[in-house]
Amino acid sequence: MRHHVRLRRLRPLALLASACIALPMAAQVNAGASVKAGAAHARRASSASGTINWWGWTPTDSTLANDEIAQFHKVYPHITVKFKLITIANWVTALRPALVSGAGPDIFEMQPGAYVTEFNSFATNMAPVMKQALGANWQSKIAPSGVSGLTYNGKLTAASVGSVYAGMLWINQQLFAKYKLTPPKTLSQWVSDCKVFTSHGEGCFVQGNATEGFLQDTLQSITNSVQPGLWTEASKGTAKWSSPGIVKALTVWKQLFSNGVMQAGSLGYQQYPDANNAFLTGKYAMIMMGTWYMQNVTTAGMTSAMQAAGVTNPKPFTALPIAFPNVGGHPSALYGDADYGLAIYNRSKNIAAAEDFVKWLATSSEGQQYVANQLDDLPSLRSIDPNFGAIQLVNRAAQQGAIQNLIKSVGSVTQPRESLLSADVQNAILTAAQSVASGSASPQAAADTLQKAAVAAGEKFK
Amino acid sequence: MPQVATGGNPKGAQTSSPGRRWRPARAWHPKVPGVPGATSGRRGVKIASGIPWIMPALVLCVGLVYYCIGYTGLISTWSWDGISPNPEHVGAGNYSAIVHDPLFWGAVWHTLIFFAVTFTIQTFLGLLFAVLLHSKVKLAGIYKVVIFTPVVLAPAIMAPVFREMFSPTGQLNSVLHAIGLGVLEQPWIGQTSTALPAIMAITIWEFTGFTFVLYYAALSQIDNAIIEAARLDGAGNLRVITRIVWPNVAGTTFALATLGLIGALKTFDIPWLVTSAGPDYATNFLGTYIYQQIIQLDHVGYGAALSVILLVIAVIFGVVLQLWRNRRADH
Repeated sequence: MRHHVRLRRLRPLALLASACIALPMAAQVNAGASVKAGAAHARRASSASGTINWWGWTPTDSTLANDEIAQFHKVYPHITVKFKLITIANWVTALRPALVSGAGPDIFEMQPGAYVTEFNSFATNMAPVMKQALGANWQSKIAPSGVSGLTYNGKLTAASVGSVYAGMLWINQQLFAKYKLTPPKTLSQWVSDCKVFTSHGEGCFVQGNATEGFLQDTLQSITNSVQPGLWTEASKGTAKWSSPGIVKALTVWKQLFSNGVMQAGSLGYQQYPDANNAFLTGKYAMIMMGTWYMQNVTTAGMTSAMQAAGVTNPKPFTALPIAFPNVGGHPSALYGDADYGLAIYNRSKNIAAAEDFVKWLATSSEGQQYVANQLDDLPSLRSIDPNFGAIQLVNRAAQQGAIQNLIKSVGSVTQPRESLLSADVQNAILTAAQSVASGSASPQAAADTLQKAAVAAGEKFK
Repeated sequence: MPQVATGGNPKGAQTSSPGRRWRPARAWHPKVPGVPGATSGRRGVKIASGIPWIMPALVLCVGLVYYCIGYTGLISTWSWDGISPNPEHVGAGNYSAIVHDPLFWGAVWHTLIFFAVTFTIQTFLGLLFAVLLHSKVKLAGIYKVVIFTPVVLAPAIMAPVFREMFSPTGQLNSVLHAIGLGVLEQPWIGQTSTALPAIMAITIWEFTGFTFVLYYAALSQIDNAIIEAARLDGAGNLRVITRIVWPNVAGTTFALATLGLIGALKTFDIPWLVTSAGPDYATNFLGTYIYQQIIQLDHVGYGAALSVILLVIAVIFGVVLQLWRNRRADH
């Protein structure tokens, strides 16, 4: 064969084909940054003596978790805590088999909503622990969302460490200053700002719409602007997902795509790492994130986050929270839940040590102050506020006031973020939003489908 | 077509004419009356000679694989979240729901399209590479390594690479822009119209090397005398490939079709890691749908029913392909 088939004329094809095959391998270098930043979603744990394992999806920067553990270790030197960071996208996949098989971690994180529903049977009742740590009136000392959202059938499944709120945008102030733009307050201004950014080759607004969660935040904010409170009513079953306000919100959602606000290809973006990296590398001027993004106003937090996003010599920029634009006729209210609570696995062999760590982080002034100063979560204990004197900000003049105002404003939040939504309903919201964005369904048709899916998922409507 | 004689194969077992299927010589087995395939031990005692040898695999298969299949079949009649100790028996309810589930039919359609496109292109490229590298090509060894390397790279490692490459600001669009084809720039995995083709392109990139290796081995088995005779009769490259090479590698093509079909039915890692089966379910396959139902949404019973249907589809296609092959061999 070798000596008889004369195919020399075809040899250039072999070279070309080989080059095509080699192209993706060459692209691997750039993708490395994305992989590194993929570890951008989790937190940690502890114990009396011995070693305990803590699994979580937050703090997304493992350095913060290890710092917390180091602080705890100073007080409890006989307890070793090992933190395992698991991305939120893989959380259920990793935790579920571990808990079912009896090989789960001593401490695992719990979030109001679907996780509490799914994993409550594996958690001990934390109410006695809280009572022991804070006294009989313990409920009055912590944020209400940290109790109601983490309670299932009367059992407190986890001790809340902190809360998160969403419903605001974060902007790169340098980019706005560079093009002499003001942050958008209306949909038309949002569109016009984006036109200016894109005309200069800059990205405007970036969001990961491939999975539920963050896309949901944007939809909830739009709905809050169209008809305040409607989203929460639909979540509770006192209004239908197919009501006119939701249809109008989906119409505005579609406009974000057709008017050039949403970046091209956003349906293929993950919020973490894609959108987060794009914003932190300065490619986009705006992103939809919640209060957990406060960690990026600190010099250490922003530097670490930029490095994780692939920036070699990071020069922290000024990130600021702004109100969600009035896209539907009303100011859009914030909403939030307990970010995460620490649950103790009921099959743990070292429950006493696990309780020590949970009490230290969730109820002690020292632990909660540490949480507050990281500006990742708002501390669960009501008596604790961030000590800005001990926090180094990227741009204190611009950021401290904005962050203090944000912290003050969340005190009046009444709407939950995810705690009322089951996994099925969240999946149905994702489907509705993607079908409208891709043009495969009208806002009305998508809302009708969403309503049917919610009914099929067991949501009761009045 | 020239008359060709055997002799090129040292084992002397190959058919002599193009288009005929190569058959290995039959192994000799002592006959035991009344017991096909069994041998006699002591007089009057019949012992199945292969049983001890296949017992470990038999126990493993029956005890593990077939038990799991049976258990999955049982679960498929439940409405169950995978944790609750009291699953609800729903009979054929899950199957009935699947029949009316548009996402299921979408996943089946994606699987069929995926198989048709990837198998066709991989077969073409694999055979082309094999033929090219059987001719005198400098640095052929390097080309072989380059072509085969994607096969050994784990999809989990390559997925972020392709997410980067196919992103709106990725390398593919950069290359298109650089060569003056900016009009073709697309958010490849961020829109429903191009996401599935992108997934198919990744699969073709990854598995063409495997196709190439099998065809390369198959080409080595073709008797040189056949090619020589064709050349003497004036056959050109194209005629040699279509009339001699292609019929002689039919067995390999069949094997690749079977493997490709099974692979298509099992497709999970690339669409899940690159596009999360989206956008808007544009890259949803049976594998990703089962994963979503069982792991993400806790619909273990429904997912088990989907798994059983997947198994049935795989068996049906396997039987059809085997019958097609047997009929073709008989003719």
